[in-house]
Amino acid sequence: MGELWRRISYLFNRRRLDSELASDMEFHREMAAREGRNNFGNTLLMRERSREAWGWTWLDRLLQDLHYGARILVRSPGFTIMAILVLGIGIGVNVAAFSFFDMVALKPLPVRDAAAIVRLERRSLDSYTSEMAYPSFAFYRDHARTLSTAMAVLGVPPMQINDDLQPTSASFVTPNYFAELGTPAAYGRLFTPALDSSPASQPSVILSYGLWQHRFSSDPSIIGRTIYIGKRPATVIGILPYDFASLGGQNPAFWLPIAQQPYFIQGSKVLTDWKDSSVRMWGRLAPRVSDKAAEQELRALTRQLKKQHPEAVWDNNEYLQLSPGGHLQVMQPRMYQAAALVAVLTLLILAVSCANLGGLMLARAVAREREMGIRIAIGAGHARIFRQLFTESLMLASLGSIAGLALGYVVMRVLLSFPDTPRWLSAMPDWRVLLFAAVLTFLAATFFGLAPALQIARQRQHKTIVRQLLVAAQVAASCVLLIVAALLVRATQHVIYTDPGFGYEQLISIDPQLGKHGYSPEAARAYLQQMQTRLHAVPGISSVSLVRLPPMGHTISNSSVQINGRDVTLYPNWVESGFFATMGIPLKTGRTFLPGEKHAVIVSESFARQQWPGLNPLGKQIGEGATKDTVVGVAGDAHINALNDDDAAEQYWPAQPDDMPGMVVVARAAGEPGSFTPAVKSISESLDSKALPEIRQIKLLYRENVSRIEMIATAVSAIGIVAVTMAGIGLIGLVAFTVSQRTKEIAIRIALGAKPVAVLSAVLRQFSWPVILGLLLGTTAAAVGSRLLRVVLYGVSNLDPIGYAAALVVLSAIVAVAALLPARRALRLDVARTLHYD
Amino acid sequence: MPPGALPMLILRVLQSGSLHGYAIAQRIHILSSEVIAVEEGLLYPTLQKMLLKGWVTADWGTSETNRKVRFYRLTLQGRAQLKAEMASYDRATQAIQDILRTA
Repeated sequence: MGELWRRISYLFNRRRLDSELASDMEFHREMAAREGRNNFGNTLLMRERSREAWGWTWLDRLLQDLHYGARILVRSPGFTIMAILVLGIGIGVNVAAFSFFDMVALKPLPVRDAAAIVRLERRSLDSYTSEMAYPSFAFYRDHARTLSTAMAVLGVPPMQINDDLQPTSASFVTPNYFAELGTPAAYGRLFTPALDSSPASQPSVILSYGLWQHRFSSDPSIIGRTIYIGKRPATVIGILPYDFASLGGQNPAFWLPIAQQPYFIQGSKVLTDWKDSSVRMWGRLAPRVSDKAAEQELRALTRQLKKQHPEAVWDNNEYLQLSPGGHLQVMQPRMYQAAALVAVLTLLILAVSCANLGGLMLARAVAREREMGIRIAIGAGHARIFRQLFTESLMLASLGSIAGLALGYVVMRVLLSFPDTPRWLSAMPDWRVLLFAAVLTFLAATFFGLAPALQIARQRQHKTIVRQLLVAAQVAASCVLLIVAALLVRATQHVIYTDPGFGYEQLISIDPQLGKHGYSPEAARAYLQQMQTRLHAVPGISSVSLVRLPPMGHTISNSSVQINGRDVTLYPNWVESGFFATMGIPLKTGRTFLPGEKHAVIVSESFARQQWPGLNPLGKQIGEGATKDTVVGVAGDAHINALNDDDAAEQYWPAQPDDMPGMVVVARAAGEPGSFTPAVKSISESLDSKALPEIRQIKLLYRENVSRIEMIATAVSAIGIVAVTMAGIGLIGLVAFTVSQRTKEIAIRIALGAKPVAVLSAVLRQFSWPVILGLLLGTTAAAVGSRLLRVVLYGVSNLDPIGYAAALVVLSAIVAVAALLPARRALRLDVARTLHYD
Repeated sequence: MPPGALPMLILRVLQSGSLHGYAIAQRIHILSSEVIAVEEGLLYPTLQKMLLKGWVTADWGTSETNRKVRFYRLTLQGRAQLKAEMASYDRATQAIQDILRTA
């Protein structure tokens, strides 16, 4: 039996061993008394010393402290509930934010060996795409030895099932996908390489559980039946399970085998075209292969690929970037940036709540002065008292943490109740969230409990400096939060009230995706010509034109350049001459393109202003190399693919005949644009029944975009208001406490004839510099830190004076009210009673 | 008494048989010609430590006054410990005496 073991057994037999020890000592005393010696010392103390040898005294003390702390907390329920609420909010907001991050980026997907799954994306020095050409995918799959398997998903625009009016989301996938993820079929079977990898196999489709439930009323006999996908017959072979976890958060309503893509989308050359980046590639690292080794091998393969198919690779710097793929989302550097931003904001809230509680604890310390005095008088050391107080703080923090976990759970439940949430996600905190909450608990207890505990243990609770610093910290942190909230609200207003520069309200875009259907430029030209003519004939449609990158489209192309030292994001586009009229974008000077014009360009107003300040932009040249393009016109700013991004600038080129297969039709339709959908459908059907266009109403997309920004602003504002309210309540408590602490002094002042203003200033003076310091610090921090926010602050400067002023006014008002409310009590003192008292 | 010597003395007096706490103190007192008086405040914490280390065990017995009391008894481990401590003590005193004599 080792020493440790004996020690543990002592822990459980403490009571018996203690009585044995007592009996030993009693016997000793009896014997000594017999011999006439009566100087046996303090038995209790000696017993305690002997017990110390067992090494469990700390546990006894801890239990004592916990017991005592619990009693103290129960005895002042008002303070306890207040503290738990304040901490619950502070910790809860953080727990909620972390739970979300955990769900998106840390929690492994419930698929087979999620840790080995990697996402592969093409990257070069200045180019990046999340998709690659199918032949390239096949090349990497066939040659890479560091990947044990490779999967590809081809996302396509929604497709029509049978005769549905609303199209349904769909994806093509390599037949190994479901087997690799270890997904069992709920009914029927899923794709297997043996049966589904040939274009000649029977056309088949797999339904998601949701689609099967809603569209096919959960009818199991659907297996084996034929349905029509985009007018092509296909057999339903299986249903995915309810809680199917897909890679990269892609959850289309049904899945088709990639080998049969040309069958479903007639004329498509996606599977053979080396230049059409369209599939997302996933892989599984071979056993005992590191990311680095795989990346290296793939780099070599890219060079090899460039030799065989120069058109498939951008340049010598291209490589495949590996990122962990076994999570809900594949994290991009930009997302980490956003996560860091959110983390800073939520930690600020925790700081406010801790500083707040710290102030309350200090105020309470004065109330507990007698208790502490007695404890020190009967021999408690500083360390012992400090430990007792810190235990109390830890208890409070733990209770707050539990409240915070509950709050986080509720937030996650609300988030997960949105439609389209994968079913396997759960709001229950996992071990990472619990660990995070535990760490926060300890940090919070340290932050709000340490300073007060130190002060109290050293009997310095009357010192005001710590209290003042806590006030300054609270004001500073809530200042930052309010300013950020104000900036976001301003950005929202900007989005809502600023004219986007084009008449979005009556626009529809019609994307027939002729390129994906294998149209030649000439065929596409004919198709689009017909489409435009027929659309013109529809009553209500006043203007029709062509554009390569339609407003709020799926594809966005941009590049960052510096013009005269300013960062500008350039959005190029290729349009027909009627585009500006259809879109309602005004031409400021010059003209639109002539039919068949080449080497001409129309730039946006802000681009012209920045590139040639004060000069006439017409006739200027743009472009590198031999062929320069001449500016023929200047259009109004219309950030059709970067709504309200003030750093965006547009350049329009005339669409050339070769661009035709990729062109999208835009039409201006008087009246409710949704009502034109059937007419457009029938036109496209009569032109080519294989090419089913995607019809989008720009107004709805625009509203969606606005509501998303509104939601962010609302959430941040709510958080800011919560923080400010907490700071206000904390300040009320502190001022009230100061007043009660100094009643005698105030009464004497009043008795001697002090004016109310003088009395108020005597009470509030000690808070004035911390508040001013807090405001200054907060504003500075916000000014410096908000540069990070520029990405979301469309159209509003991060130093927007109105935003700052609004935030500071609100904060000052709340602080003033919070200080004056309790301070007024000082004026209504019953002077005689106060002075007679003791 | 030099610190750390008490465990060795206790081990030594227990070598000839088990004793209760008071008897241990008495035996040390007598054997040291009444020079060393073991304070109760030191004896019992030390005994607890030795119990924990496994050098001694305690069994219930009856005292000469007919009272139920615990008798401390040397374990095998305790014997080995005594041997080791005595050897190192001998070495140390020898060395000290050498210095005192020759320096």
